[in-house]
Amino acid sequence: MTWTDEHQTKLLYVHTHGIDDPGRCATPFFLAAAAAAMEFEVMIYFTMYGPTLLRKDVIDKIGPKGDQGQPLRYFIEQATGLGVRLLVCQPSLDLNDLSLGDLIDGVEVIGAAAFNDLAAAADAVVSF
Amino acid sequence: MSEPAAPAADQVLDCVGAACPLPVLKTARAIKELVPGQVLEILATDPGVEPDMRAWTSRTGNELVSIYKQDGVFHVLIRRVG
Repeated sequence: MTWTDEHQTKLLYVHTHGIDDPGRCATPFFLAAAAAAMEFEVMIYFTMYGPTLLRKDVIDKIGPKGDQGQPLRYFIEQATGLGVRLLVCQPSLDLNDLSLGDLIDGVEVIGAAAFNDLAAAADAVVSF
Repeated sequence: MSEPAAPAADQVLDCVGAACPLPVLKTARAIKELVPGQVLEILATDPGVEPDMRAWTSRTGNELVSIYKQDGVFHVLIRRVG
């Protein structure tokens, strides 16, 4: 797991909040989408409770404003449609009693060393 | 903010009523449909559109030709480069 283009600006977002705090669920995705639209290379790393936001059975049921506005799926697909990559680590899957199969397609699993390597090589790390 | 003395747009993108980050996302998509040298005009009401479009053009290398506000609507003219 590495950044693919050394000439591109690289942004790594870190998201730690999960489905119990839906007001925090959308912002990392839309900042990441905007970054991708600026031709940055972008990844979002979900740790602690973050991986719960990627559950297949959840993304149509929650949104940042509850029943008003768009569901979480909209924000996720806006980001991934622009090439944003989504990462999780195994310990935080365990913390939330999840397996990779519970999550939407396309999520990649990395470990602590890979995360630190991505962070050290990024131009900025933005943590939520 | 410059005066409305801009070249005619080759394409108009209506983002009136669309909130951040939609104008940026739609602009990124729309500019790819132009050939280099053509001008995209974005109509937007999001209050952050001016700093956003300045940042977006400076990062993507496209040219911000002008931005002005008329009757509550921002008109952003961007020329596709490269």
